[in-house]
Amino acid sequence: MKVKFWGVRGSIATPLTNIELNDKIKKALELALKAGLNAPWQTPQFIEQLPWYIRKTAGGDTTCVEVETGDNRLIFDAGTGIRPLGLNLMRQEIGKPIEASILLSHTHWDHICGLPFFVPAYIPNNNITIYGTHSKIEDRIRHQQDFEYFPVPLDIMRGIKEFVQLREGESFRIGDIEIDTISLYHPGGCTGYKVSYNGKTIIYATDSEYKELSPEPKPIIDFFRDADLVIFDAQYTMLENIEKEDWGHSSTIIGIDMALKAGVKKLAFTHHEPTYSDEKLWDIFQKAQNYLELQSEKNDLQLYLAYEGLSISL
Amino acid sequence: MNITEAFQENVIIVSLDGRFDANTSDAVEQFLRVRISESKFQFVLDMANVPYISSAGLRVILAVVKELRRDNKGDLRIANLQKTVAKVFEISGLNNVLGIFKNPDSAIQSFTD
Ligand SMILES: [Zn+2]
Ligand SMILES: [Zn+2]
Repeated sequence: MKVKFWGVRGSIATPLTNIELNDKIKKALELALKAGLNAPWQTPQFIEQLPWYIRKTAGGDTTCVEVETGDNRLIFDAGTGIRPLGLNLMRQEIGKPIEASILLSHTHWDHICGLPFFVPAYIPNNNITIYGTHSKIEDRIRHQQDFEYFPVPLDIMRGIKEFVQLREGESFRIGDIEIDTISLYHPGGCTGYKVSYNGKTIIYATDSEYKELSPEPKPIIDFFRDADLVIFDAQYTMLENIEKEDWGHSSTIIGIDMALKAGVKKLAFTHHEPTYSDEKLWDIFQKAQNYLELQSEKNDLQLYLAYEGLSISL
Repeated sequence: MNITEAFQENVIIVSLDGRFDANTSDAVEQFLRVRISESKFQFVLDMANVPYISSAGLRVILAVVKELRRDNKGDLRIANLQKTVAKVFEISGLNNVLGIFKNPDSAIQSFTD
């Protein structure tokens, strides 16, 4: 399976600001001066060695993660990240019908507002199915495109062939992929998905708070058990997490403890807080690495800071 | 996890012995909440014998501190952190918001300052 992150921001789309961009340029130039750079051929390697938060950005698009198996394409959530994903599919699959299953965790804006800009959904030949456990899932998506809010109604998106109303906790199949669901603690409810294919499992568990850590939150630990990859809502620092009790999000430190308990192999932090800069996200990620080193001697858990374009193959 | 307490004036010194994690943090929280319900609001948490703390332990400390500081009722202050536990406090940023002291005496003293 191949996982690709197209949107990693939580709550609202957050483009890089000019101030942040200038700051990156300034820091890069200062480091270039220090390094004594004096010829163009030195720059690619120099850029490669810059700290992550200078040479990259986590990105500002809201949640969207693509999972490709041999025959199927799953798309988790339709935040603004689904727009570039759609454009990419159009380029890749010229002339061929696009098949995709969009699995919605819930219907907060940051998880659905990209759908009207998902170009493949407008092409009648395509075959797109939308899944969700929330009541009246089709109506919820339809109303987002009521004329008061958007000029083009859902019915024009003729590539969308079906809405599948799931029940909470339901297990189902898409082709040869097995999918399990679990309900997560979040205002209005949120669904976590487990994808099992070819002996590997990926869990998409965004928008969730884990308040009851003691005794360990058993159903969710069991759900995470031995997963190859868990995509985890780490919107806040631990401190802010407690401050913002019941806002329905989590932190890196809680994710690490749960992943260690459940024997998870890879853990990707996503749904980044809109007010956190790349430098802050990187700092939080470094601290998460430190925390992991302190908590576990054997350390075969691998951590990822999700950013736009990050791919993980399993 | 062994929890013992001692009193000094209005301050309760709570000594923990064992790992402060998902298996034990409930007991610590219960213990503190019972004392809070008895209108005790000044605590020193002596962690000399805590070799390990996880997010569940951090969560209890933060939740109790948040409760105690509401309306300026009181506080919970930390003493005697072991080296790795101190590092966890640092990494999680808790050291920026909590009163952390070398030993219980200075923590107790801080309530009268
Ligand atoms: Zn969200
Ligand atoms: Zn949400």
